[in-house]
Amino acid sequence: MIRHTREGRNLEVLINLFNGRLYRNPGRFVINTKAADLFRGSLMEQQKKYADITLLLEGTYPFVRGGVSGWVHQIIEGLPQYTFALIFLGSKKKDYDAQKYVLPDNVVHLECHYLWDHFSLSKPKACKGNNEYILASGKLHDWFRNPCSGFKEAVLKELLVSLGQPSGFTAEEFFYSEAAWQQICECYDKYNAHNSFIDYIWAIKAMHTPLFKLASVAHQFAPATGTFHAVSTGFAGFLGLLLHYITGRPLILTEHGIYTKERKIDLQSIFIREHRDLLGDVLHMGMQYQELLWIRFFESLGQLIYKASNPIISLYETNRERQITDGADRVRTQVIPNGMPIDRFLDLRAQRPEKIPLVIGLIGRIVPIKDIKTFIRSMHTIVTHLPEAEGWLIGPEDEDKAYVQECKTLVQELGLEEKVRFLGFQKISDMLPRLGLLVLTSISEAFPLVILEAYASGLPVVATDVGACREIIEGSSDEDRALGCAGIVIPMADPEATANAVITLLTDEDRWYSAQKAGIQRVERYYTQSRMLDSYKTIYDRALTQ
Amino acid sequence: MAGIGFRLRELMKTDTLSGLLQAYGFAGIIGSGPWVLSIIGVLLIGIINTEDFFTPSFVGQFQISVTYLMAASLIITGPLQLMLTRFIADKLYEKHDEQVLPNLTGAIFIIIIVSGTLAGLCLVYLFTGSVLYRLLMLSSLVILSTIWIVVIVLSGLKAYREILLAFLLGYGITVLVAMELGAFGLEGLLSGFVLGHSILLFILLVVVFNSYSSNKLIAFDFLRRSQIFPSLAITGLLYNLAIWADKFIFWFNPKTSNVIISPLRGSELYDLPIFLAYLSIIPGMAVFLLRIETDFVEQYKKFYDAINEGAPLKIILQIHEEMIITIRRGFIEILKIQGMTTVILLAIGDKLLAWVGISPFYKVLLNIDLVAVGIQVLLLAVLNLLFYFDYRKDALYLCLLFAVSNIAFTLLSQYLGPVFYGYGFAMSVLLTTLVGIVMVSIRLNRLVYETFMLR
Repeated sequence: MIRHTREGRNLEVLINLFNGRLYRNPGRFVINTKAADLFRGSLMEQQKKYADITLLLEGTYPFVRGGVSGWVHQIIEGLPQYTFALIFLGSKKKDYDAQKYVLPDNVVHLECHYLWDHFSLSKPKACKGNNEYILASGKLHDWFRNPCSGFKEAVLKELLVSLGQPSGFTAEEFFYSEAAWQQICECYDKYNAHNSFIDYIWAIKAMHTPLFKLASVAHQFAPATGTFHAVSTGFAGFLGLLLHYITGRPLILTEHGIYTKERKIDLQSIFIREHRDLLGDVLHMGMQYQELLWIRFFESLGQLIYKASNPIISLYETNRERQITDGADRVRTQVIPNGMPIDRFLDLRAQRPEKIPLVIGLIGRIVPIKDIKTFIRSMHTIVTHLPEAEGWLIGPEDEDKAYVQECKTLVQELGLEEKVRFLGFQKISDMLPRLGLLVLTSISEAFPLVILEAYASGLPVVATDVGACREIIEGSSDEDRALGCAGIVIPMADPEATANAVITLLTDEDRWYSAQKAGIQRVERYYTQSRMLDSYKTIYDRALTQ
Repeated sequence: MAGIGFRLRELMKTDTLSGLLQAYGFAGIIGSGPWVLSIIGVLLIGIINTEDFFTPSFVGQFQISVTYLMAASLIITGPLQLMLTRFIADKLYEKHDEQVLPNLTGAIFIIIIVSGTLAGLCLVYLFTGSVLYRLLMLSSLVILSTIWIVVIVLSGLKAYREILLAFLLGYGITVLVAMELGAFGLEGLLSGFVLGHSILLFILLVVVFNSYSSNKLIAFDFLRRSQIFPSLAITGLLYNLAIWADKFIFWFNPKTSNVIISPLRGSELYDLPIFLAYLSIIPGMAVFLLRIETDFVEQYKKFYDAINEGAPLKIILQIHEEMIITIRRGFIEILKIQGMTTVILLAIGDKLLAWVGISPFYKVLLNIDLVAVGIQVLLLAVLNLLFYFDYRKDALYLCLLFAVSNIAFTLLSQYLGPVFYGYGFAMSVLLTTLVGIVMVSIRLNRLVYETFMLR
């Protein structure tokens, strides 16, 4: 009569982790949803397929809109000389509607797998379990705990290739065998002996379930592939890792954010929420251990994937450094920033009024992570110095209604009703020429495309020192820095500094124009779509000839 | 025995001699089931109507009629008994007490229809005898079957005094009326049987209906796909078939039986000793129920609570070990008490037989039957443990073994000759119990692993 509520909770944690990722960043891309079914039908007819590149996509393209999805679409569309196969990994099938993008013609294959949908196992039946495999994997786990020591890649390869296979270690062996049970008990005794055992064992089971699922996906993957390209570490990266070892084809990794770091933040917020419910519960020490387990799980996945991937690409320097600290080999790392199709913005540049408009724009969703309140507070200071100035908040308000209300109340409290306008969702090309400055007060960003869009339309930027913002504003290489600053970098959550930066730029015309010039030059030199596509073309060509 | 532990623990807690005695008495009655009581009743009726070692033939007819009624009603209700027990135990565990009564009503409804139809068909097409006799048989079967169903929920009730009273009253009336109506022969005795059991059933129903509240009149949730455990139904049927298999074989082998009242055949040689022997299980059953339902269930709850509430593995293993010790202690205690009872009865058996006026001729068979039913108490304990740990398949196989071996060994014993009569049943019980004990001990040793990895 053991009730498996733990299983449910672990699953929920996972789904939360997953969905937290999926539903952030609703994108700004035009969507067209037909053709998907037609497309699938025609695929069925082909027998043995070949794709130059198989993209491994976790919770993004083509079912979810967003920055990463837009980037994937850009790559596929911009490199028509290659054929692409797509493997989409989702949480549960019901979480996704129709495809959000029309797949370009050079996509020859799409398959979808849902990690938290029911995993079909044979009925529980006692078995012995492959002890050798467990021993070897135990050593691998020791390496996860202490990554400083070395681990033989041949052993790793052997372990991964036979994962889920009768010759190695099947899912049934993991879930039912006595050997697995012994191993779990031993590890528990060694590392976690005082905490809730049922939470521990369900966490372990929940963690490994997707790995077995991915192993079966990898072994069933039919199309021949020139190179695999994972668009994150995590589960997509793990699938790439398995495919890489199974087929011997190279694995390329592009990380937009830092997966491990994002998972940590998600986990913390989930467990903080849980702890609030469990206040006073003596078991919460166990939960803390579980939290650590999960974090190490994702870290370990990351390490394995870094070990196998070449090159390891990030969007900007800070993330590259982070990857190196997390275990990526420096030689393999590389920065390829996002690129913009600049041409669309030339018109906008022409539309700019003669005089610099005293309009300070913040383009983004009205949510706490964008720290809209700091923007509003800074407007208070700005209007005392520049009475004609206005602040525009441009972005959808439907995600966090309570926060929007708080912001509107703050505006009233500061008497800024005339000065701060909530414009809701707008077409960016209509807005950019009417702004005098773009301000980003976010407390977290990765690589905000909006800054590039602002540059391309001839607009300087004031942004907090998060993500790639400093690199984009001040330049990353020496050569880049020589172009000058395209705006001002400000500290986080500092209305005074924000106001000062805005006032400085809006009152000093020379500085404003030199920032505009730097921005245009920078985006045209470093952040064009063609530059990005060229970089990937080089990487793909190298991988395909390996 | 849904919910009996709670009551028993409460009784034990009073810590007085009367509380203890009440606990044992209650456990004895609930545990050995009304059918032991009815054996006493039937034997008493036989003794009362016996004068100077001469028993009129209608008493034999009455006894065999009641025996068949017992067998038929137990086999008919067998599939439903375990299923309903499990359903009600689950509902009580989930604190859905209000679902007990409508489902009980539903089960009674089904049983009345099934037993009534079967009895009606048999009586119309197979039976001879007066119309009154046939009607009394029909009503007896329906009433008995219903009682078996109601007994399932009894054990969870607070009103154990009323229950004891109901049994005393029911059987008292059966015996009294039989005494008064003995002059009317078979029909007179059967009328007493029907009347007594009707009163028993009536009082039980009143007690049950007073004890549970409900917002629905009738429900059949226990038959729903998600709630049903088909293996429990088969197990229940097999167990009851197994218990009666040797008797049927003796009844229908012309060499060992004769027609008592057409078409009912009986085996004078075989029947009496085994029914007498069943009286000896009362102490063993009382101990079994008390030990299993109090000490063991406490450990059992502690074990699963520890798991579910997130205890460390060390604590879980510790409780697991204590639980095994408790189980072992329970078995030893059953063995002691039942063993003692059996040994005493073996020693003074012939005196007792002489005292109640039964021919010492039965002594040999009685001895082997005493041993067999003593072991059967252990088998019940084994089955109960398997049900507690939800090893339904094991229980099913065990009952299958019981049924098959009882048939095989009984046939063999008949082939080997009268000296071996009774050994067939005894060997079958012994084999099944030994296999069961091995099964349980293997399962218990692997319990923690299986709980976490295979459940």
